[in-house]
Amino acid sequence: MTKKQIHTQELSYRLKTSPEYSQANLAWIVSLVLSILLLLNSYSLTEQISKPYVFIGFVVYALFTVIQFMVVLLIRRDLIRFGHIRGKTRALGYIQLFSIATGNVFIATAAFGLIKRHKSAEYTLAVYMLLTQLFIIAASGLNLFKPYVTDTFLPAMFVLVILAVFYLITLMIVAKYVSSERAHPRMRVIAYILILTSITGNLFALLLALTLLAKLRKANYLSTSKWETVLERLTRSTTSMIGLFFIVFLFSISICSYLTFDYALAIDNNYGAILQQPSLAYPFGTDNFGRCLFSRIIFGARISLVVGLLSTAIPVVIGGVLGALAGYYGRRTDNIIMRLLDILYAIPGILLAIAIIAAFGANTVNLILALSIGAIPSYARTMRANVMLVSTYEFVEAARAFGSSNWSIIFKHIVPNSLAPMIVKSTLTIGAAVISTSSLSFLGLGVEPQIPEWGNILKIGSAYLESHSYLAIYPGLAIIMLVLSFNFLGDGLRDALDPKLD
Amino acid sequence: MEVSASTPRWGLLQKLAAAYGKMMLNPTYRVLVLLLGAPVHIFVYLYYWRERKNDPYALALDQTKQALLASGYYDRLIEDIRDQQIRKHRFFQEQMEPQVLERQVAAIAAAQLQAEAHEQTMTQLRQRSQQRLTYGAAFQHLLESPLFVAISFVPGAFMYALILIFSSPYLKYIVERLLMSVFVIFGVAFLVFSILYISPMNPAANILGETATTEQIESFNRLYGLDQPYLVQLGNTLKGIATFDLGKSFAGNEEVTTAIAGKFPVTLTLTLISLLMAIIIALPIGIISAVKPNSIYDYTFMFIALLGLSIPSFWQGLVFILNFSIKLHWLPATYNPQNWLSMIMPTIVLGTGLTAAVARMTRSSTLEVINEDYIITAKAKGLSKRQILRKHAVGNALIPIITVIGLQFGGMLGGSAVTEKVFNISGIGSYIVDKQFIPDIPSIMGGVIYTAITISLINVVIDILYAFFDPRIRSKMKQY
Repeated sequence: MTKKQIHTQELSYRLKTSPEYSQANLAWIVSLVLSILLLLNSYSLTEQISKPYVFIGFVVYALFTVIQFMVVLLIRRDLIRFGHIRGKTRALGYIQLFSIATGNVFIATAAFGLIKRHKSAEYTLAVYMLLTQLFIIAASGLNLFKPYVTDTFLPAMFVLVILAVFYLITLMIVAKYVSSERAHPRMRVIAYILILTSITGNLFALLLALTLLAKLRKANYLSTSKWETVLERLTRSTTSMIGLFFIVFLFSISICSYLTFDYALAIDNNYGAILQQPSLAYPFGTDNFGRCLFSRIIFGARISLVVGLLSTAIPVVIGGVLGALAGYYGRRTDNIIMRLLDILYAIPGILLAIAIIAAFGANTVNLILALSIGAIPSYARTMRANVMLVSTYEFVEAARAFGSSNWSIIFKHIVPNSLAPMIVKSTLTIGAAVISTSSLSFLGLGVEPQIPEWGNILKIGSAYLESHSYLAIYPGLAIIMLVLSFNFLGDGLRDALDPKLD
Repeated sequence: MEVSASTPRWGLLQKLAAAYGKMMLNPTYRVLVLLLGAPVHIFVYLYYWRERKNDPYALALDQTKQALLASGYYDRLIEDIRDQQIRKHRFFQEQMEPQVLERQVAAIAAAQLQAEAHEQTMTQLRQRSQQRLTYGAAFQHLLESPLFVAISFVPGAFMYALILIFSSPYLKYIVERLLMSVFVIFGVAFLVFSILYISPMNPAANILGETATTEQIESFNRLYGLDQPYLVQLGNTLKGIATFDLGKSFAGNEEVTTAIAGKFPVTLTLTLISLLMAIIIALPIGIISAVKPNSIYDYTFMFIALLGLSIPSFWQGLVFILNFSIKLHWLPATYNPQNWLSMIMPTIVLGTGLTAAVARMTRSSTLEVINEDYIITAKAKGLSKRQILRKHAVGNALIPIITVIGLQFGGMLGGSAVTEKVFNISGIGSYIVDKQFIPDIPSIMGGVIYTAITISLINVVIDILYAFFDPRIRSKMKQY
């Protein structure tokens, strides 16, 4: 009885601690949900029309889901019987790699995770770097079905494909020559090239290059910095990496779209193609002025990201400084700063934003300012609490004993050590800022109506809800996916920065 | 203790005296007490002036000083200090004029003598169990006599009320919290008014149209008091907010406060129902997720909660209308107070964010609590899982959740504007949004400020309730 119990405990421990098993599990569940969604959408009940393309999509997704499910069962059997995953099972990952062609990130990343036994953070980053590049090529490549493309389209696509090949080679080199402990010295050259390529917005390349350089620099002595451990933990969490993947993808395509997308298709009226259903030329259909919804959403990503990031960065800096001063000096300074911020805190963010926009007019700059001001108090509170905690530590005492000025104690010693909760909080609130931006635009109080911002697109779509509901659904899905990504990343960062919370 | 038990009146006075002693330590309260009880203090000051002549401290201090001088302590002190100073200057290689040196030495010696005399006197007083007569001590002494209190009660009523409030930690906490929120409310009014005042928009031109003449605009501005200086307008606004009379709106010629009073209950009902729904759904979900962490329930619920946080409410509303009203014809698409079916979609949409936030908070706070030592103790006592959860875990886990609910409720009241626009509800949120296009300054200001006031009041109530329910806060309050 007891022996068996220990045995089952041991088994459940084996299953729980295997990253491949949990990743593969997540992959087949999500993939199943996606397949069901495709199946439901392949037949429209109200219009009695079946959509063959969607149905083919469903069949392909279902096929990969079934294989993935079998892979999960095999992994489980291997773990129970042998305690490790056998090479044969790992080889199945190569089959699942083909799911990249269907755009199924979940199965693709699970496959990459299955293939390699000892995964370093660099390997995971390289995988996501390659995936991002492939997705950008695919999304940009959809323009080929359009009646015309921009002049820069072909050269830009050529560069993107070359980069993808380079990333693939990098991935293979990283898989072979970089382990968790050390990297090959020649990797330095690759790292520098990766930094250069990250101007396309592929932040995974930048991250990979920086970790490689950090690893090379400390090749001679054994120590891990805090940020390396955080990155290591972050790369092990699938959900947060998928979140980061989507954010980097949107960021990168916002940059690449300058060359590969035609802005005219997103803003110029085209009365020949009004309110068309989704097709290959117009993947998400066209709106009431014949503008391509897909291009509009791609251009909208730029604005959502910029507004979201800026309206988080501004209050982080202002609130952070105020909170640090209040927390460090305490007493009267604290009282004055926090009581004044209490006033700001009493007005709900959206109402304050509406009041500011009512006073100064609706445009992007005012929107960013309005959202920023309302968010200052909560950052100040977070920072103040942390600074109060950190300023009791001994290294602060030591810095004071050395004769450092208050200013340098605050900004050199205390603030860097109380940043972690601010990072988590800001990641989680970028999502809220994105929602606020689109909500205000939807009300007509945000970004100027002629700019293709997601809220503006949705506002037009809401007028055609009955007849052309896709006009309202796709931009909404884009918002949800971006916000969800930031939330996943924020949750992952919190777990990585403070593992005792979970 | 015994004395206070037999004569409770005396006990009250003693309490007053003790509270007064504490209040003197806080500069704000010291000023307040002096101001509120000014007539009493004049009398007390005379008493103090008279009593000071036979202050035991002054007498003893004189004696001690004389004794110290007589014992040659002062001369020795001067010798020592001079020696120290000379060595110090030699070490730093400084040249000193002899007169300057002597002056320094004398100053230091005098200060040290004074300190030493004070120290010795205080020791003597303590040995003879006497007190130094300060102004505060004189007043405290007077407070203990019932006659004095009876006479001075009428002129010093405000001061006594203040001292009484201070003497009870609960009352003090409540009053301080209320004062704080009054300050915040006025701050909000000032802030919103100032933002709208410095606006470059010209409502007169917007309302009267392009063709308006300068005279027309001027008469419009005069009618609504827009030509007056900043401080006068601010004063009028603050008065208007306090008396619920913000005048007429720019467009539509209606009383602003009447309009707001008509819209506000609609929003409040909607948000309260959403809040109730959120709590009923979120608490069990959060607790189940925390009790079975990393299980399939946990993952599913927390994913749904994260999804709930990520859905923009206007999109959720549109999708609901599309599916339940347009396609399935189950629920009406627009809100109608007479039809309760039309309430379902708005409340769900409005409550989604709150439900998600509360569920996540419940999970993390319950997880934190069930790893505490007292839960292990309860387990060791042999209590069942259900009992532990109900009696020990949930109650303690609820404390931070209530704060979150209070804060999120504010966000919900503010964020209701979007939902109200989607479902065509004539609540306060859509009122503000409609008015801002003009911009109709009194209406926007009224809407925003009254919403902020409601939120502040709700948070005050939550804070005060806390003080009674949370034993940790209660004990902290008593240590003031």
